[in-house]
Amino acid sequence: MTTETINPAPAVTQGRGNRKQARRNTLIGWTFILPNFLGFLAFTLVPVLAAFALSFMEWTSFSAPKWVGLANFQRMLESDTFWVALRNTVVYALGHVPLTMALALLLAMLLNRKLKGIGFFRVAIFFPYITSLVAVAVVWNMLFSPDSGPINQFLHSIGIAEAPGWTSSSDWALPAVIITSVWRDMGYYMVLYLAGLQAIPSELYEAAEVDGASAWQRFWNVTIPSLRPTTFFVVVMLTVSSFKVFDLIVVMTNGGPGRSTTVLSQLIYQEGIGEGKFGYSSAISLVLFLIVLTVTVLQFKIQQRRER
Amino acid sequence: MTNMAEDLKAEAPFRAGTRLEVPPSETPRRSKAPRRSTRERKARTLDLILYSVLAVLVIGLMVPFIWMVSSSLKENNQVLTVPIQWIPTEFVWSNYTDIWTRIPMMGYVQNSLYLSVIITCLQVLTGSLAAYGFSKVRFPGRDVLFLAYIGTIAVPWQAYMVPQYIMMQQLGLTNSFNALILLQAFGAFGVFLMRQYYMTIPDELCEAARIDGLSEYGIWARVILPLSKPALASLALLTFVNTWNDYMGPFIYLTSNRLWTVQLGLRSFVGQFDAEYAMIMTGSVISVVPILIIFLIGQRYFIQGIATSGMKG
Amino acid sequence: MKRITLAAIALAASAGLGLTGCAGAAGPAEKPAQEGKTTLSVSVWNYEGTPEFKALFDAYEAANPNIDIEPVDILAEDYPQKVTTMLAGGDTTDVLTMKNVIDYSRYANNGQLQEINGVVDKLDKDNLAGLDAFDLNGKYFAAPYRQDFWLLYYNKDLFKAAGVEEPKDLTWDEYVALAKKLTTTADGKTVYGTYHHIWRSVIQAISAAQNDGDQNSGDYGFFKDQYNTALDLQKSGATLDFGTAKSQKTSYRTMFETGQTAMMPMGTWYISGFAAAKKAGKTNVNWGLAPMPQKSDDGNVTTFGSPTAFAVNKNAAHSEEAKKFIEWAAGEEGAKAISKIGVVPALQNQAVTDEYFKLEGLPVDELSKKAFTPDKTALEMPVSDKSAAVDKILNQEHDLIMVGERSVEDGINEMGKRVKSEVLNK
Repeated sequence: MTTETINPAPAVTQGRGNRKQARRNTLIGWTFILPNFLGFLAFTLVPVLAAFALSFMEWTSFSAPKWVGLANFQRMLESDTFWVALRNTVVYALGHVPLTMALALLLAMLLNRKLKGIGFFRVAIFFPYITSLVAVAVVWNMLFSPDSGPINQFLHSIGIAEAPGWTSSSDWALPAVIITSVWRDMGYYMVLYLAGLQAIPSELYEAAEVDGASAWQRFWNVTIPSLRPTTFFVVVMLTVSSFKVFDLIVVMTNGGPGRSTTVLSQLIYQEGIGEGKFGYSSAISLVLFLIVLTVTVLQFKIQQRRER
Repeated sequence: MTNMAEDLKAEAPFRAGTRLEVPPSETPRRSKAPRRSTRERKARTLDLILYSVLAVLVIGLMVPFIWMVSSSLKENNQVLTVPIQWIPTEFVWSNYTDIWTRIPMMGYVQNSLYLSVIITCLQVLTGSLAAYGFSKVRFPGRDVLFLAYIGTIAVPWQAYMVPQYIMMQQLGLTNSFNALILLQAFGAFGVFLMRQYYMTIPDELCEAARIDGLSEYGIWARVILPLSKPALASLALLTFVNTWNDYMGPFIYLTSNRLWTVQLGLRSFVGQFDAEYAMIMTGSVISVVPILIIFLIGQRYFIQGIATSGMKG
Repeated sequence: MKRITLAAIALAASAGLGLTGCAGAAGPAEKPAQEGKTTLSVSVWNYEGTPEFKALFDAYEAANPNIDIEPVDILAEDYPQKVTTMLAGGDTTDVLTMKNVIDYSRYANNGQLQEINGVVDKLDKDNLAGLDAFDLNGKYFAAPYRQDFWLLYYNKDLFKAAGVEEPKDLTWDEYVALAKKLTTTADGKTVYGTYHHIWRSVIQAISAAQNDGDQNSGDYGFFKDQYNTALDLQKSGATLDFGTAKSQKTSYRTMFETGQTAMMPMGTWYISGFAAAKKAGKTNVNWGLAPMPQKSDDGNVTTFGSPTAFAVNKNAAHSEEAKKFIEWAAGEEGAKAISKIGVVPALQNQAVTDEYFKLEGLPVDELSKKAFTPDKTALEMPVSDKSAAVDKILNQEHDLIMVGERSVEDGINEMGKRVKSEVLNK
């Protein structure tokens, strides 16, 4: 799907590339893009670029910005909290992206059939998404409760004596948050996969079955390759959302205990609008932007190579 | 208006979204008839297992929602108890009548609806237009521009919200619905989603229309748009839900109480030192209703729309 | 096309529903400024849920018929963030309410507020609690109208049931012993001896106040006894465990109003909240107030508190009127207006206290009255541009000590180390 982002798409005017036609195309193209582009340029792109420019300045939002060069970045690299938050964000993404992807795919395979009331189940999958975050946080924290929570009681019952402290422990708070966020997001991505699955023609499976392929082989040789475009889309969107995670963490642990679940976007919020160090917070967001961009471009290249 | 599209669709060798990755010649077709009965029996057992798995799953997914509903029927000081209480000792149905008078809930619902519908319509319209430009018309600088669009998705809003606000203030647009509409109607998300979908629509279709003498605008309006109903529906749904549930945007831009949305109204139950969680949960349950209605209406399209936009062209 | 038709219908429906469309549907349109009246805008949080604002504004409008006060209602949760954003955009709201002294220091140090020494000089400086907090090198940029401080709420019935006397002149040791004695479990339901809310102030601010400690100093040895006390209570089960309270978002109101705790250190803002709940029949707890426990039993009461103040925006449209309003609000008239609804004013004199205890439903025993007049009220957090950053670090380390991941000693050392390296030496 997205492989064409950089490759030129099939042109309207293939073979007739004279200059007049090219100019006409440019004009037509722009007229299509313009209504959205004007709004996008004015209200999103310009502020984003302004924020990036601020990362080289000191600005309290009450007075004129002052140019400070790379001082914000230097401060950031020396800040212990920045590295903690960066580490947490990366760990969160490493846990959240593959787990959500795998479970979403599994759920999609489960729901990809004609079944009475399947519509109800599909709607039910969305409930985590539209449940108030406070309710999500309270109930999951109850489930995770170190002494009386059902999760640890289960772990005790299967013979694990030293059950984790989950959200009351620095080591386990991040895994607890990851589990909750996977639970919350898997329905959303399941729909993307479900859709992808529906587009795989059943003939492919039948052919594989005739060739004597086991269920696992069919999954591996038919489903996975056919889903590659969907997977790419899911990975990109999941990566972006993992690196920007904010609401769930604020409500569930607020970055604690200590700094064990503090993430970059929280830092951006606290330092910027919270404490009025907008230059510094912009520097952090520039770094976050670059990381996400790198990951996306890398995935993009891998995808392109596979497609070839 | 749709006739032409239907014709072209019938002519097209395959419909967008059901295209094969492996050429059809490689997939031998066989009769399924002889194996149907064993299959059916197998399928029935499978269905049974599936139903039980799904039932457990649904309960797992609904637990916090159930707590939310239960809390909405409690006195405020009974909500956050230790240990957690699943069934209210006394059902306080009056929460559901009180909320309409405690805050101007009806007005908030109207404001939310107004914003969500306008933003959704604009996003779908401008998004699909721009997506056509990005996918079906070739011109220099197009892909760089498109990357800029996607790039902004990766920047957290917290980072550029103040520069954006200052700009809006200078344009005299703060404290009005217009500010939010302008900010959210032209996001990159719609363009991205629609473009991916258009990539799956074969160019042959456009060529055929061109030969029939349609202009590019005609192709967009009479061929592409009717074909992309599912994608339009899914975009509309996602935009609606996101706008409906947005809190920070309305909080920063809508100052007058008259302009507040449901999400702001619910947060007004959070005080400096404590919060009225029973009322918040009541309001949250109410605010889920419009989303459910929209979801149920668009459900069929939604699944299909994602299917095609997720496929390669 | 069905979808688009649907959208069109929805659009029409909502435009119809919205009645006023663009103008917003929740409430009447803003009334135009009346002839000869000045509209003074004041930023407030949670206008409906914070009755003190309405009480002040109504009283002021009644006393000054040519002034119309327009509250700029902002959600309490993210109040400072919204005010910062608005000010960055050059907002002209006249009076800005300072929710806490940390924000005050930021706005004042960045030149966002007007100096109001002229107003402060006219006030009864000696009796205005918390005024010192706003003194920045001899300049005042805000004047307090309200001052909340901490005291001990207790459940008289639970005390009676356990056969113990009212908590008079408690030392911390006596407090711990009492809490343990009051803890009972019946039918699987625990009633705790006391409840410590998860805020760090419950431990840190009170020990700073009673030990003359400075929370911005980077040396936190003075926290030690208080942490040991709190952890001892928690370990013995005499208070709800911190981890549970935090993750379950336990409400202190629930703990006290449902009789799950016999004692609870908490701020005076809860007095009016509890009185209202009692009046509405939502709780039947028989309550009393007592001074905070002390280091020694010499009868001197030291607690901590936090003032709330009004300031004038640098870009105010009506500076003079704003100053007049502040002078009134921080004076006796303003104090009486908020006393009537159970909010503790910054101005403390006999007339105001009398007005306060007229409030219906307040406990009127001698101990409760004594609790209301502490000998010394220290500032919850010092006023400095470093306070916000220090506050964050102290919060994080507080968590770790309370969940038992760091020993008290290590935690205190870590606080000092981090505050010095991340804030003081920057």
